Amino acid sequence: MIDVAAIKAHAKALLEKGTVRAVIGYRNSTAGLLAEPFVFTGPESVDDLIYGPSCVQNLALYLVNDKKERAHHKSDDARPVAVVAKGCDARAITVLLQEKHFLREAIHVIGVSCEGTGVVDTKKLARKLGGKHAVEIDFDGGEAFAVTTADGVQSLPAAEIMAERCLECRGAHPQLADIAFGEAKTDRALHTPFQAVKHKMKEEQDNRWSFWARQFDRCLRCYACRSVCPMCYCEECVVDSIQFAVLPDTTAEEKANRIKWIERSPNRSESAMYHMVRAIHLAGRCIDCAECERVCPVNIPLRLLNTRLEMEAFETFDYNPGSDMNAPTLTSSFKDTDPNSFIR
Amino acid sequence: MTKRTGVFVCHCGNNIAATVDVARVAKEMGEVEGVIFSKDYVYMCSDPGQSTMANAIKDNKLDSVVVSCCSPTLHEKTFRDVTEEGGELNPYRCEIANIREQCAWVHKEKPKATEKALKITRAAIKRVQNNQSLTPIGVPVTRRVMVIGGGVAGIQAALDLANAGLQVVLVEKNPTVGGHMIQLSETFPTLDCSQCILSPKMVEVSKNKNIKLLTQAEVQEVSGFVGNFKVKVRQKAIYVDPEKCKICDDCAKVCPTVVPNEYDLNLTPRRAIFIPYAQAIPATYTLDESACLGLNPVVCGKCADVCEADAINYDMRPKTIVEEVGAIVVATGFDLYGKENLGEYGMGKYADVLDGLQFERLCSASGPTGGHVLRPSDHKEPKNVVFIQCAGSRDPESHCAYCSKICCMYTAKHATLYKHHVPDGQAYVFYIDIRSGGKGYEEFVQRSMERDEVMYLRGRVSKVYENNGSMIVKGVDTISGKNVEIEADMVVLALAMQPSKGTADVAKTLKIGRDKDGFLAEAHPKLRPVESVTAGIFLAGAAQAPKDIPETVCQASAAASKVIQLLSKDELMHSPAIAKVRLSHCTGCEMCVQACPYGAISLSGPNAKASVNDVLCEGCGTCQAVCLRAAIDVKNITQMQVHDMINACLGV
Repeated sequence: MIDVAAIKAHAKALLEKGTVRAVIGYRNSTAGLLAEPFVFTGPESVDDLIYGPSCVQNLALYLVNDKKERAHHKSDDARPVAVVAKGCDARAITVLLQEKHFLREAIHVIGVSCEGTGVVDTKKLARKLGGKHAVEIDFDGGEAFAVTTADGVQSLPAAEIMAERCLECRGAHPQLADIAFGEAKTDRALHTPFQAVKHKMKEEQDNRWSFWARQFDRCLRCYACRSVCPMCYCEECVVDSIQFAVLPDTTAEEKANRIKWIERSPNRSESAMYHMVRAIHLAGRCIDCAECERVCPVNIPLRLLNTRLEMEAFETFDYNPGSDMNAPTLTSSFKDTDPNSFIR
Repeated sequence: MTKRTGVFVCHCGNNIAATVDVARVAKEMGEVEGVIFSKDYVYMCSDPGQSTMANAIKDNKLDSVVVSCCSPTLHEKTFRDVTEEGGELNPYRCEIANIREQCAWVHKEKPKATEKALKITRAAIKRVQNNQSLTPIGVPVTRRVMVIGGGVAGIQAALDLANAGLQVVLVEKNPTVGGHMIQLSETFPTLDCSQCILSPKMVEVSKNKNIKLLTQAEVQEVSGFVGNFKVKVRQKAIYVDPEKCKICDDCAKVCPTVVPNEYDLNLTPRRAIFIPYAQAIPATYTLDESACLGLNPVVCGKCADVCEADAINYDMRPKTIVEEVGAIVVATGFDLYGKENLGEYGMGKYADVLDGLQFERLCSASGPTGGHVLRPSDHKEPKNVVFIQCAGSRDPESHCAYCSKICCMYTAKHATLYKHHVPDGQAYVFYIDIRSGGKGYEEFVQRSMERDEVMYLRGRVSKVYENNGSMIVKGVDTISGKNVEIEADMVVLALAMQPSKGTADVAKTLKIGRDKDGFLAEAHPKLRPVESVTAGIFLAGAAQAPKDIPETVCQASAAASKVIQLLSKDELMHSPAIAKVRLSHCTGCEMCVQACPYGAISLSGPNAKASVNDVLCEGCGTCQAVCLRAAIDVKNITQMQVHDMINACLGV
């Protein structure tokens, strides 16, 4: 079992010695079961640090935010920032490093294992408990979660209440880590990779389109999916004409010639375009943290859309995002073994 | 955004006008916003067409021009020149709307094709209205040339270039120049000795002061661009000083290692220290390190002991040489199709089944049998010899789909030579067709049939097998419709020609394309047959397609003349339609750097953002496609222009 006290001790030592600026981790939230991301800056604050199946958020996002904030405040503190990273978070950090978003030495990765079970899906849990309210959840050996309700603690099979993405996870233990805690269980084989998308692909094309048309009709274009995605770090989103960056060197001509690839109104055509452009921009970069799907207020199954392209990347180009920070990215690289050998 | 656009719609005779209502295109384009002049004409590229265009630009003070005509690869230059010279307008204010190849030629229904032509032209108008005036970038030229491959093609190209006063670096993989031609006995259709006509050229290579010869060397890396290539060449150590070597053969006499001699197609042995043949250029022995006992005086060292000239040095090491050249000629030649693929003909199984090159060696006076045609198995004179044409060629199902072109002729030559050597023997040739186009070729084949009584059998051989100690060739004669069985003393296969083994690597290193059969691809099959798709890299010889000696020499000289033309100027003009970074949007993710096929982008500056090398960039737009942040644009085809073009097509 992962020793949360040891993680805490490590984080505390880092902050006490001042080797890091801050530790990005989780603490108990005041609302609901899920943990909340928190930036620990003082050694004493680390007492609140927790780690367990309720820590679902991808903390790589907070590294991206940290960079933006530092740029905004013109911070000159050159010390690295530490981050608690599950397998998926570490993959996201790897992609960001691959894209030179920050230097390796600017980050101290505290790798944490998911103990072979992954994180919880609160909707599944609520269904499982049938109306009872869970107040706490913890790892319970390799195949179960210990869930505390008003009735006391019960052990529930993890496979039934864990997040969909964890069922298909191919790298539960963080590969990129300065220090790692917990058992390295990676070959869990709960579901075959891309099982959900493969299942969907079996449907007729017309059915699939009407399914997606329905989903896109419901999209509010609140951009929560974009806000939560660590890969959506662009200053200016090419499909969103309302948040064009106006910088000191933006010329009048540039301002006048803004391209509106997509209209602002949330209708089927524009929303479909938005989601598909986002999915294509994530090809070879999405590490399947499924945060976009989790935060969607209207429950659009975005994971299906994004993993469809990840499947393509994996099966056609043998590309696994977040596995090697020194490898060239999917869209920018070419291998002799790539298909379509007529391009020689 | 320009305000005075002119549109010129070409009929291209009937090429466009038959499928597209050109008058309607011209009329409707006249109504597009910003267009003040629109006209159709039967041949825009003709002289009157060009004058119409030049006058219209001046008279109407046009500030941008669209020509709706054929592909820009054909007449973009013509019309940009007219724009500049006749119209006194920046040539980059002229764009082509391709309504021929991309419209008229691929559609049948006139109303639909006309609709499409309208869209294509409207899109081009939108594009050109946002074009910038650009000035070509001048780049200085290195007046040196590299020729890769020292066969007859490479030799000819190197000599032509050197005689034109250019410095040439000739790179050859083997210990000597000469290629396959030096292995041949006689050449069709005149039957002059191959060695006798090639060796003078080889000597000239060694004597010419403008030629730097690098043998046992291979190109490893190429960077730069037309006019300014930097080529890294790796030269193996030969362990013999060519200046000191007296070619006395003392070393080979004492060498204890025996390996097959590649020059004789493994029909004879050679030593680890050897000279491929007497006329080898450079004239020196060379030590084959893979065969040598260890380059170590403690292990053997016999050759070094006997060498009076003290030419042998075990301490030589491979060298990496960097050459700066302005152009490259690729003449990497051919290899025969692998015999292991032709098991049905008994190749590799029976000693007396030979390939064409082996038979050449048997006929050659310098060959393993001193110019007598003898069977390798028992050194007896073969009385019945079967030649099988198209062995591996013209067989799309299991071998090469293409015709290897020279086999008909060299098989006729082989049969003739055989009759000259063995007058009482009988030659049989199995063929599909006889392709003898060429000066004196058809007569040569006829002569082999009539004078030398070569028996031509139209049909394929199904099997070669052994029966009671003799080889049986089983085939069909489709003219008589009968199955034929011939007891043969020797079988010679006219194996297909394929690109030499290193061709794929060379193509990759030089970033030039290959065709579906693996031969190097020319830029245009008819009009640019000796140019590769990469500027400044030219092709010569059988690496481009199967060809005989006269054609190879022609192409080599053609490539040389193209190089001379290229390097005759002090400065080359580079297209200014290149990529430009929007620094405000660049995050330095390096994707464009990795994606750029020309190595033109690097990260620079305080925040490590992309920066484009103007002369390396070819404006291909790959960077534009990979950039997630729209932070890189190619001039005159910016995202804004693409967006406007899409809108124009959609009618938004």
